[in-house]
Amino acid sequence: MSAAAGKYVTFFLGDEEYGMEILAVHEIIGVLPMTRVPRTPPFVRGVINLRGRVISIIDLRRKFDLPPCEPGPTSCIIVVAAHAAHVGLLVDRVSEVADIGAADIAPPPPLGAGAHTDYLVGVAKSGARIRLLLDISRVIDAGDLAVAGAPGGAPTAA
Amino acid sequence: MRLIEQVPVRESRACVSLRLVAEALRPDRDRGERQAALHRAAQVLLDAVRTYLASPKAPDRLSMVEDPERSIIAIMRNLAEASPALKPRTSDLIGMSDRKPHALLARADGLLPLSVPDDTDSALLGDFCDEAREYIESAEAAMLVLEREPDDVEAAQTVMRAFHSIKGTAGFLKLDGLVALAHHGESLLGERRQRDGFAGRIAALSLRALDALRDTVQSLDASRDGLPLAYPPDFVDVLRELENADAVPAVPGAMPAAPRGATAAVARDSGATHTARVRLDRLDALVDLVGELVVAHWMIAQDPAAGHDHPELSRKVAHAGKLVRDLHDMSMGLRMVPLRGTCNKLVRIARDLAQRAGKEVECRVEGEMTELDRNMVELVADPLMHMVRNAIDHGIESPAERQALGKPATGCLTLRATQMSGHVVIALSDDGRGLQRERILERAQVRGLVRPGEQPSEEDVLDLIFAPGLSTADRLTDVSGRGVGMDVVRRNIQALHGRVDVQSEPGRGTTFTIRVPLTLAITDGMLVRVGAERYIVPTTNVIVSFRPDRSALFSVGGRGEMVRLRQDVLPLVRLHALLGVDGACEDPTAALLMVVGAGERRSALLVDAILGQQQVVAKAVNAGIGDVPGIAGAAILGDGRVGLILDVPQVLELARRAQPFTGTQAVA
Repeated sequence: MSAAAGKYVTFFLGDEEYGMEILAVHEIIGVLPMTRVPRTPPFVRGVINLRGRVISIIDLRRKFDLPPCEPGPTSCIIVVAAHAAHVGLLVDRVSEVADIGAADIAPPPPLGAGAHTDYLVGVAKSGARIRLLLDISRVIDAGDLAVAGAPGGAPTAA
Repeated sequence: MRLIEQVPVRESRACVSLRLVAEALRPDRDRGERQAALHRAAQVLLDAVRTYLASPKAPDRLSMVEDPERSIIAIMRNLAEASPALKPRTSDLIGMSDRKPHALLARADGLLPLSVPDDTDSALLGDFCDEAREYIESAEAAMLVLEREPDDVEAAQTVMRAFHSIKGTAGFLKLDGLVALAHHGESLLGERRQRDGFAGRIAALSLRALDALRDTVQSLDASRDGLPLAYPPDFVDVLRELENADAVPAVPGAMPAAPRGATAAVARDSGATHTARVRLDRLDALVDLVGELVVAHWMIAQDPAAGHDHPELSRKVAHAGKLVRDLHDMSMGLRMVPLRGTCNKLVRIARDLAQRAGKEVECRVEGEMTELDRNMVELVADPLMHMVRNAIDHGIESPAERQALGKPATGCLTLRATQMSGHVVIALSDDGRGLQRERILERAQVRGLVRPGEQPSEEDVLDLIFAPGLSTADRLTDVSGRGVGMDVVRRNIQALHGRVDVQSEPGRGTTFTIRVPLTLAITDGMLVRVGAERYIVPTTNVIVSFRPDRSALFSVGGRGEMVRLRQDVLPLVRLHALLGVDGACEDPTAALLMVVGAGERRSALLVDAILGQQQVVAKAVNAGIGDVPGIAGAAILGDGRVGLILDVPQVLELARRAQPFTGTQAVA
């Protein structure tokens, strides 16, 4: 499956810019105090109180095996709806809402076996900018979510 | 729904389509979906009315439907204007159903097997069942009033109304047997009662009729899940008796004696109030939102800007706080329902059982207006029923036995409900023979629950009745005494974060006391600190907390850590290790041990400190990350942050398997 043309919310992790379809985005909020949840995979940063709802936060840096870093002043939580639940994604900085045309979208480059690229559905180029387009329902993989539920399940080591 | 009266629609298709309209107008549907559904519904309705008008038996009210098309539009407009969220009652849809002449009523002899027309809308049938059950319940409550005050017109009318409404809807669904039963039931309570008074045969027969109705409704409801349809076994008998009662002229002056068995003392519900049906998810969302508001207000009140330097502002904040608290109390109250329905049911069961066992029992109910979360009410009903069965079957002696003992022949069963600091306490007392300690101890020894020679305390002996597989009944009856019972009761009550205790005096009676929280949505918890993390331990799991001496600590085989508390030896569970928390106090003699129990298993949890006790609103934590072992849920703490509620049985299970989490450094 490749990415479709349309409006994308783009954000940064380090120097890399990513995009996700705007329809998947529920809201964007600042970083709230998080409560760590024991016995969950390292990319599960914890849970927050979003106006009375408890939602879990996934650290996209950890999820993508990027060098971890603590949230800074520009860090944001993008709340998305996936697998019938709301999940927050911790990102370094939200960039813009971009209109991406079909002509600008190329299929994801083959990155070799072992690379976690199944949630990468396309690469958008505009001028010198390269944006990696994500399928958010694959980023928050239902299988990943179940890892924590396995009794005594070994957590994935970072 | 007035509009139904304008168009006397008796065609089932029309009624179904009205339901479709109502469904289509549900506000949670999107516009496109609504319009399509509306269009479809309008077509069906139009067809139905056309068929109706074309039929030779068109009624006299025909003139009101001059132009079918126009009236349909009027109906649509009316419906749209009526609150679309209100679910129409099926009986509203049918309108005022006419009394069927006797000749058309099904007779007990030659009653066809129970069936519903093939094209019956399953949802409609479900609505009918729900409604019928409500009517039957209110009728039962009214019957109990009638028993004490046979001339109470209002109560009699409640029962008649129940029969009448069920008759109307059943007629629409072509359930001829139900129509006949309800019809005779109604006239029994109406004309017959006025002639003969409400006593003896009429009372007993009305109750049996209600039972037969309920069982039939149960079968109808079950049929929606594919179970076979059938009238209850005694349906035909009841119907025949009702027919006879309806046919036989009254004998003046003949007043049958009051029935043997239980007599009930249930206070009349004088303050009748109006109620509205609200969808439960909306109610829950409202309660959630108000909970948020409480926390949001707390944060404002804590803000230094609203402090003493600004008396004006702080006064306003305090005022808002009072309103928020009131709102919170009220919203929590929305889900509360009185225990009265359950009490009435229990009284009925007691009456039936007493009659069957040849015992005389008077039931007293106190505090039946005590309120409990509606979910809880359903969940405590079963254990209570079991206990009532036990009391009638084993507790209260036969009249002869009682008289021989110098007791009044009529036994007394008291159900007393009270509310106490966030809990509802329900006590069920009988004045029967009491629990037989020797027999319990003997059985427990046979079953190996107590070692020979061991002499448990009085309390511990009584507590043994909650042990699995212990039954002291001399003979099996069809109601209780199969050796499963009180252990299930205790388990069910514990699942509700409650407890059940027993007190008994030989020859004087037994009292069971159930104590459950008002609601499951709120957990009573101890807030504990482990390192920088805070967790909530449900109070029902907490037995005691203490700081151990060095001498009380020891380890078994260099592996498991244990702690001695008085004569008990408990495994020590390092929460910080189990939950992967850094920076926690690791020396038990400088920290605190919290003794927790889950069933038989007890352990001591090592925590840094207890921060306090508080009530929290439990929410699911698994949204997005699956079930987390050891965590029962999450709650918003006073400072707006999320605190995790520990699932103590799971925590102990994790500790037993000793699989401390190793990857924590990456998470912290």
